[in-house]
Amino acid sequence: MKYESQKVAYWFFAACMLLFSLQLVYGFIMGVAHMGYDTLHPWIPFNTARATHTNLLVVWLLCGFMGAAHYIIPEESGRELHSVKLAYIQLASLLVVGVIAIIGFHLNWWEGRKFLEIPRPLDYLVVVNILLFIYNIGMTVFRGRQFSTTGMVLYMGLVSAALLYLPGMVWFDSQTLDSYFRWWVVHLWVEGVWELIMGSILAFLLIKLTGVDREVIEKWLYVIVGLTFISGILGTGHHYYWIGAPKYWLAVGGFFSALEPLAFLAMALFAVAMYRKSGRSHPNKISLLWTIGCAILSFVGAGFLGFAHTLPQVNLYTHGTLVTAMHGHLAFWGAYAMIVMAIITYALPEMTGRKLWDNAMGHLAFWSSNIGMVSMTAAFAVAGVTQVYLERRMGLDFLQVQQELDVHFLGLVLAATLFTVGIILYIWNFIRFGLPSDEVRLKPLEEEDDERHVYAAQPA
Amino acid sequence: MLSKSQARLFFWVGTVLFSGVFLWLTVDTIAQVPDQTHQQNMSAAVVRGKHIFDKNNCMGCHTIMGEGAYYAPELTKTYERRGEAWLKAFLPDPEAMYPNARRMVKYDFSEQDLDDLIAFFKWVGEMDLNGFPADPPLKALAEPAAASAAGAAGANVLAAAPAVYGQLCSACHQLGGTGNAVGPALDGVGQKYDAAWFNTWLADPQAVRPGTAMPRLPLSDADRDALANYLASLK
Ligand code: HEM
Ligand code: HEM
Ligand SMILES: [Fe+2]
Repeated sequence: MKYESQKVAYWFFAACMLLFSLQLVYGFIMGVAHMGYDTLHPWIPFNTARATHTNLLVVWLLCGFMGAAHYIIPEESGRELHSVKLAYIQLASLLVVGVIAIIGFHLNWWEGRKFLEIPRPLDYLVVVNILLFIYNIGMTVFRGRQFSTTGMVLYMGLVSAALLYLPGMVWFDSQTLDSYFRWWVVHLWVEGVWELIMGSILAFLLIKLTGVDREVIEKWLYVIVGLTFISGILGTGHHYYWIGAPKYWLAVGGFFSALEPLAFLAMALFAVAMYRKSGRSHPNKISLLWTIGCAILSFVGAGFLGFAHTLPQVNLYTHGTLVTAMHGHLAFWGAYAMIVMAIITYALPEMTGRKLWDNAMGHLAFWSSNIGMVSMTAAFAVAGVTQVYLERRMGLDFLQVQQELDVHFLGLVLAATLFTVGIILYIWNFIRFGLPSDEVRLKPLEEEDDERHVYAAQPA
Repeated sequence: MLSKSQARLFFWVGTVLFSGVFLWLTVDTIAQVPDQTHQQNMSAAVVRGKHIFDKNNCMGCHTIMGEGAYYAPELTKTYERRGEAWLKAFLPDPEAMYPNARRMVKYDFSEQDLDDLIAFFKWVGEMDLNGFPADPPLKALAEPAAASAAGAAGANVLAAAPAVYGQLCSACHQLGGTGNAVGPALDGVGQKYDAAWFNTWLADPQAVRPGTAMPRLPLSDADRDALANYLASLK
């Protein structure tokens, strides 16, 4: 850590941990309901649990990205954050809006638009909040001593994500157009601008952890985000096959979305190659594990499992089944949850001065949560493929088929328990780090450990 | 080998080019959607129906056009599959129709809300969705030859049924191998009861057999008589 103000990131990360835990509670509620025990129904019907689960996910990931930005941007711009006070105000108000939204979901106050359930009046508050954030980070970037590619790509990703929230706020009478523009938010986020955010955090971590030359890493960052947009923008068409939009989307969406895995493949190959190339080993083994794990699992979840159902011939039968939920879980986990976990594990020792970066609990948290998530994906896969064959290909009744699937949700809940054990360990480790310390020396920690190492190719 | 400035150029050219194509296709899509979705039929009732669907987050359990959650049935073709009478009987009290199954919220819909929702389902069901939902290609496998022979016999029995039977009763009961298996099959039920009994039963199932899972259906007197006579004829 080089600047005092980077410590505000700690509170964004702490908020992440809190919201993430709550997200899992609602995941269990749904998993158990799918098993046939919908006992909470009178108070928390399935749609409430679901909106809460997915919105908490999005909010904690955004909190994580913001935390990452508050940590990375000062370092990449070579100056303190524009305003620490503004950062705290922004975090607090984001949390207030989030809590109001969650309470609203329990009182039937929402919009029934998947992933964008936050009701319109709160959307305006979200916009104001995001503007504060963009302003604070923007002032830091533009008044900085240096422009780095990593910092700029991160900032561009955040600004475009904010802009793309707007098409989701337009009201359409037609279900088709409503859906058309809803995907501008949902798809162009996760398969577009969020990849810029992910790619730049990944680049930052690789620069720090592997010590490979920044110029090399940043060149590949451009290639990766270029591939993302070339495939991902027209790839939006894979959501336009069956919503009453013209038929050419089958060809356009099918072709370009089939190319989307290339960006994730490039990220995985790039991360592994940089790791191999690294001349030194950074002592923060746990962060390295999350970083490399993220690059690999994002390819599996988003790239491989996304490709598995993206061609229109396949999607005609898998569209809107548990196959989609299978992909949704591993993609969000591998790409976005894991990159946030990676930057947290990197930043915590720097902010608190405690070196819990190669301990057993941290390793166990990684393996338990990842094996748990991969098993959850497998449980969704078995349930999903069975559903596709029985309901979509043989034409059995929906509810009859769901009864056949109950047992796979027992599998899901068991896997989710393993996953949750991992997350509890992670959070426990987080707590053990304690609060950011005033005594932290303002230079990267590993230099204390390894004075021989010269911090390579860091342009001043 | 690629230099950093070439990589940057690749990124910018690709992004600008494909954003442009995407915007152009969007303009074209907006122009074509009214035709493809029969927007001229999108009445005020349809729009109100969409709003009710939206306001209650129905998509939080169901899918429509394949979008939503995976807990409750796909609704794109529900109008075609169930018909107006069934939807009107079901929506005010879902658990009455499907006891001991997955639970749906009991909403306080007005008569007008029901009409609006049904108008919305009808409109969505008539859109041209490029072939979604597909006809199940293996349906023949799910219905072995024996069942289809029974089906042929059943078709004769069913041909005599009043229209309301197909709209409401077969959603839960089987007859001649057709219909769902929520309640008991009705083959030969006329041997057990007569028309008068069926009439009182249909008027208020709870009064005849307290605690029964059979809902009280919104039947006109004429429909109830027709059904009672028909059921009594199933010997
Ligand atoms: C990290 C990146 C990704 C994330 C977080 C992600 C997440 C999701 C989620 C949550 C859905 C469900 C959306 C809904 O139905 O409302 C979805 C759908 C889908 N995704 Fe992804 N995805 C990612 C990348 C990809 C990629 C790279 C591909 C293609 C190669 C892909 C292909 C699809 C397809 C075809 C659907 C539609 C499924 C259906 O028809 O029901 N995804 N994705
Ligand atoms: C305790 C662990 C978890 C359990 C038991 C669980 C369970 C579920 C269930 C049952 C659904 C609803 C599927 C439906 O509509 O029927 C769901 C949706 C979803 N969950 Fe989870 N979940 C868990 C953790 C997570 C995590 C960690 C993530 C992200 C990294 C996540 C992301 C999602 C997403 C994106 C959806 C929407 C999927 C779609 O619409 O296709 N969940 N989850
Ligand atoms: Fe997508």
